[in-house]
Amino acid sequence: MADQFAVTYVPGMDSGEIPPSPVDRDEKTAFIYSLVDPVWDIDVLPLTYTNSRWSAFFYRADEKRLRRVVPDCMDVEDDVVEHWYVDHRNTMLGPYGEWGLTVAVSHKAGDGKTYYAGYYPYMYLTQDSAIDAGRVLGFPKKEAFIRTLEHFGNPDDGYGVYDGKDWKFNQFSFLMIRNGYVIHSAIGKYNDAELSAKPAFYGNTEYGRMNMKVVTAPDLSKSEWQLVYLPSLVDKGLATAMGRPETEGSHRFQVKPESIRTASPENIEWFQQATPFDNMGAELPVGEMIGLMTFSFDLIIPAGQTLWTETYTRDATWAGAAKPYRYGLRHRFPKPVGLGA
Amino acid sequence: MGQIVDVTSTPWIDSGDAPPLALDRDKRDIISQGVADPLVDYDIVPLTYTNSRWSAFFYRASEADLKHVLPKCLDLEDDVIEFWYVDHLHTGLGPYGEFGLTVAASHKAGDGKTYYGGYYPYMYLTQDAAVFAGREPFGFPKKIAYIVTQEHGGKEDDGYGGFGNDYFNFTMERRGYLIHTATGRYDDAELPAKPAFYGDPSYGRMNLRLITDPSLKTTKWDLTYLPSEVTKATAAAMGRPETEGQHRFQLKPESIRTASAGAIRSWALQGTPFDNMGAMLPVKEMIGLMTFSFDLIIPGADTIWTQTIERTDEDIADLLFATPYVYTGRQRFPKPPGV
Repeated sequence: MADQFAVTYVPGMDSGEIPPSPVDRDEKTAFIYSLVDPVWDIDVLPLTYTNSRWSAFFYRADEKRLRRVVPDCMDVEDDVVEHWYVDHRNTMLGPYGEWGLTVAVSHKAGDGKTYYAGYYPYMYLTQDSAIDAGRVLGFPKKEAFIRTLEHFGNPDDGYGVYDGKDWKFNQFSFLMIRNGYVIHSAIGKYNDAELSAKPAFYGNTEYGRMNMKVVTAPDLSKSEWQLVYLPSLVDKGLATAMGRPETEGSHRFQVKPESIRTASPENIEWFQQATPFDNMGAELPVGEMIGLMTFSFDLIIPAGQTLWTETYTRDATWAGAAKPYRYGLRHRFPKPVGLGA
Repeated sequence: MGQIVDVTSTPWIDSGDAPPLALDRDKRDIISQGVADPLVDYDIVPLTYTNSRWSAFFYRASEADLKHVLPKCLDLEDDVIEFWYVDHLHTGLGPYGEFGLTVAASHKAGDGKTYYGGYYPYMYLTQDAAVFAGREPFGFPKKIAYIVTQEHGGKEDDGYGGFGNDYFNFTMERRGYLIHTATGRYDDAELPAKPAFYGDPSYGRMNLRLITDPSLKTTKWDLTYLPSEVTKATAAAMGRPETEGQHRFQLKPESIRTASAGAIRSWALQGTPFDNMGAMLPVKEMIGLMTFSFDLIIPGADTIWTQTIERTDEDIADLLFATPYVYTGRQRFPKPPGV
């Protein structure tokens, strides 16, 4: 053995910026695995976001298609969908890119109450911790290559322009790729037009957010579907837990009105396709493009509430769909090198 | 200006290369969210691997360190651990790179039976579907990292028919920090020790899965167990009854290369703000490296121990470690471009 180098401390632990490993804590504080080194830990809670940049295309989709991607326990409330990218700069989970599609729905609960929400049939992110933390709440997150770009229209002296507080850039480009296939690309130029419609949940605090979480047993004998609900307003418990009682009753999602830019349909060049791995392009094509709205925001994500569950069981005859040791088109794609370097 | 192009065909479904959309199937065939387009779909079951390349460093670690990383339901069986990389070329989940650390452990079950298994305190992969196929049903503690596994040199390369594999290089990085790298040259030496589970079919594999309710009020701990041999049910499900009783992991003996401790030219392992393995399990004595090719089957897992942690509202408030809207070292790292 020629040369061995070992760093046996964890930077940041002595200073208290990082919690001890769950193996050195009360087991009540361990809630994700691995037990010794979780993919995300208690230092993400409460989960807050600062100065993220949201870019949402609004379009009408065919109602039958919307009905198809929404689970049976929900009703579709609006044919205008939100097809959005986010550039997350400062979050408890670190920086990441995100994409999602939100459909306005409702769920009639057993107690007679109707819950309204934006439901996510599709989501993609660039980073593992944010994917897993979301999936615990039922967000259907996959990993993809995501680019969100705003530039041109403002001279850049190298200072202060790209700090995320200047919204004068005129051109935009959005791109999402997974397993080598382009899922979506859109480019264009803001014209700050008034958009002709918005999704039903815009500005309506009645609408929370909903996800369908699927928990499968290790032996694959059953899967439980859980409809998870996140209310739109900060409740007293969350406000107190954050040490910010003044936030009680405020929206979890705080838009910065001065940061809004828009583009009307004639200013948008749009390409979207289904791939062997991702069916969104086939399931929810554009019926009528309404436009793009981009803005900056702060956000809080609380714990969720389970409104509805259903369990599907599989007996010993269930054997999946693969042919052992045979690989088809879904198993041939560029080998990813991972993230970072 | 203003072109809208949506390509809505899905030809691979008509040809049978991909299964029908989850929306068009019986709900029992959906094993993962989103239900409209699952991250992990049932065309990976049964999950098989062909011609993967395994490179395992063996080293002794301190028993105190090893006991520290094991959950309370497991006992330590051996101080030789396996620190491994894999280059997966052909799998039901597509190609990916993988890293793991395996510790020989046992669990005394309530019925008096003792289960032996390789337990994984740490795992990293390069690809999302493989990460969540491992995490969600089975409990493999997978994260995503940048991983390089390289064998090259030692043979003239005319551009056809392969290249040499005398030299090796392994690198793993996450969030801008190097976790591990090792380089060297195989010398095909006999290694003085191997982990207890090498060649012993009484050792299966174990994972600890933690499933937390969306409200954070409960966390269910499941110790999952994968036996080492193909069971009758798995053999039948695969349509290959002749595989019953065979090892799930079929090593190709002719593909083995080894490097003694002295042939490992460089080794760097460090704890980072995001990954504590280098701090928790440093090398006490390096034994060597063994590399080989193999085929593999991963079946459904048994749950052999479970406990549920319940939290009051007070307990949940105690979990809130972060300062709202204030970001520190763990939230500052290069934004990954995805894969």
